[in-house]
Amino acid sequence: MKSYIIEKNKLKNLLECFLKKYKIYGPIKSGIDSTFDEIKSINDLHLDYSSTIIPPKKFFHPSRQILFKFTITKEKYLIQEDIEDEKFILFGVHPCDVYAILKLDKFFSGEIKDSFYRNRRKNSIIVALNCNQPGENSFCKSMNAGPFLKDGYDILLTDIDTKYLIEIGSNKGKKLIEDLELIVATNRDVAEKEKKCKISDRKIRKILDPSWLPKLAEENLDHEIWVDLGERGGVADSFPCLSCGSCSLVCPTCYCYNIYDTLDLSLKHGSRIRELDSCQLLEYGEVAQGGNFRKERKDRIRHWMFCKFGAAAGGKNSNCVGCGRCIRVCPSKIDITKVAKELRRRK
Amino acid sequence: MLNEYYPSLAIIKEIKKETNNTNTYFLSFSDNKFEKNFSWSPGQFIMLSILGVGESAISISNVDKNNLINVTVRNVGNVTNSLFSFKKNDIIGIRGPYGSGWPLREIKGKDILIIAGGMGIAPLRGVIHYIKSHREDYGQFEIIYGARTPEDMVFKYELDTWMKIKNCSLHLNVDEIPTKNPFECKIGLVTSCFPIMNTHHRNAVALVCGPEIMMRYVAKCLETIGFDDKKIYLSLERRMKCGIGKCGHCQIGINYVCKDGPVFNYADIKPFIRPL
Repeated sequence: MKSYIIEKNKLKNLLECFLKKYKIYGPIKSGIDSTFDEIKSINDLHLDYSSTIIPPKKFFHPSRQILFKFTITKEKYLIQEDIEDEKFILFGVHPCDVYAILKLDKFFSGEIKDSFYRNRRKNSIIVALNCNQPGENSFCKSMNAGPFLKDGYDILLTDIDTKYLIEIGSNKGKKLIEDLELIVATNRDVAEKEKKCKISDRKIRKILDPSWLPKLAEENLDHEIWVDLGERGGVADSFPCLSCGSCSLVCPTCYCYNIYDTLDLSLKHGSRIRELDSCQLLEYGEVAQGGNFRKERKDRIRHWMFCKFGAAAGGKNSNCVGCGRCIRVCPSKIDITKVAKELRRRK
Repeated sequence: MLNEYYPSLAIIKEIKKETNNTNTYFLSFSDNKFEKNFSWSPGQFIMLSILGVGESAISISNVDKNNLINVTVRNVGNVTNSLFSFKKNDIIGIRGPYGSGWPLREIKGKDILIIAGGMGIAPLRGVIHYIKSHREDYGQFEIIYGARTPEDMVFKYELDTWMKIKNCSLHLNVDEIPTKNPFECKIGLVTSCFPIMNTHHRNAVALVCGPEIMMRYVAKCLETIGFDDKKIYLSLERRMKCGIGKCGHCQIGINYVCKDGPVFNYADIKPFIRPL
């Protein structure tokens, strides 16, 4: 499809045009960090970001959501559906996060579909932004998830100095900008994008060969590295894991959730709620009568790493995209790439 | 249209006391439409909800001739505890059935060895009923059932009929006999029956369900006496929140217990449930 360009100072018009029809969520700068939140004007938008703390997963698989509400009367239960139909644009998403959303798409489809996720996804449009400034922890290149995007977007923006190159990836995207009068991109603009892509590629310092990750998991179920990581002194300059669950909280492909009920004070009205859960927490593997299938901390950190290596039940739908968020937030400085390398070295 | 997380309403038609802390509930859908669409196989489970308390995975112990879903529940947690306060004709929520069930078709013609510990007999009761009514499809039949005490055994009223199944032997094992011994229970672990059982591993398949620690050792012992790991099937217990392979809690290796199991071939999951 045709590509277009827009001057950076005209981005305001583009955004205002989108705002007429849709709610927009995009990166904003709050304090020293960026986060995805509602954009009401161009002044809120902060496209010059490296990575947000919480991934945009929260718009499709919210950290807390109501599955249904119910009323208990003497004879019966009344169940009310709770379906949201807000249409929104996710603006300025980096490639690693887009790839993570594509993985979750596959995960929540399958034999049994998750209608809450599918519904939100159906109502969303993704305006992606190629990543010009991968952070020190990014290893998206190794995981085949960046820093530039190949597919999965509705509209893709690339920062080429004074303007943005606009590429269209779907009919949804095409429809979104068909009323706008945009300038068609020249070959020079496209060549400029290629150049930017190479520069961005070179900025990535963390490199890892992902092809041997599933095999590493298969062979090292009982490796002493898990004891080091969970109970002893840590691995590769890290401290031992604290089981805080931060890594899975910020991971764009972690999908695990808990389901529980709440009741109001009258004990008549309540709702069933689903909330993000973490395999790092002790309660995660707990069953009746005090049984726990992942009691040891080493079992939990091992499970999470295997899941990110693509060797857990989620398979390729929950493996790592290399965004580097878990490395950044870990209070024990555990680096998943270093653990993988160490596993291979100590074999 | 109801979606995958909404429970259908079911009426408790009857409650049968099994032991001090175990009841069997006979459930019927309050909407006939669901009853018609409900098809199950032994080993599958339902998600039983009590609104305001939560949801639990409970295995179906039978679906009887009146189309009532039998679930045998031991009072051990929040949901089950609350279920015990329910009376006849009260309403609960159920969804399912989920999971794969026992491979009854694949093991046709084989000798069947059933090993159950405690509440592990519940998901196997459907198998016993099935084999009873399709007796000619299977070879020799042997049931080893262990519990803590004779009083802790469930389906006591059925043990007689099990014993009378043609070409079937039943071993009952308990840890201790505190008062009286109403049936011929022996003291010992289920594995203590292995030297005296009739089943030979050559043409046999073992179906095992019980506490995980018991299954680990049973599987190991069966292997020691010659069973191929592919001929051992285990039904696993895990924490389950969704029942449809999405919430992640029940993962074992590359499988979800709710979706790919709960019945697994021992060969597939061996690295994850080795004896400690």
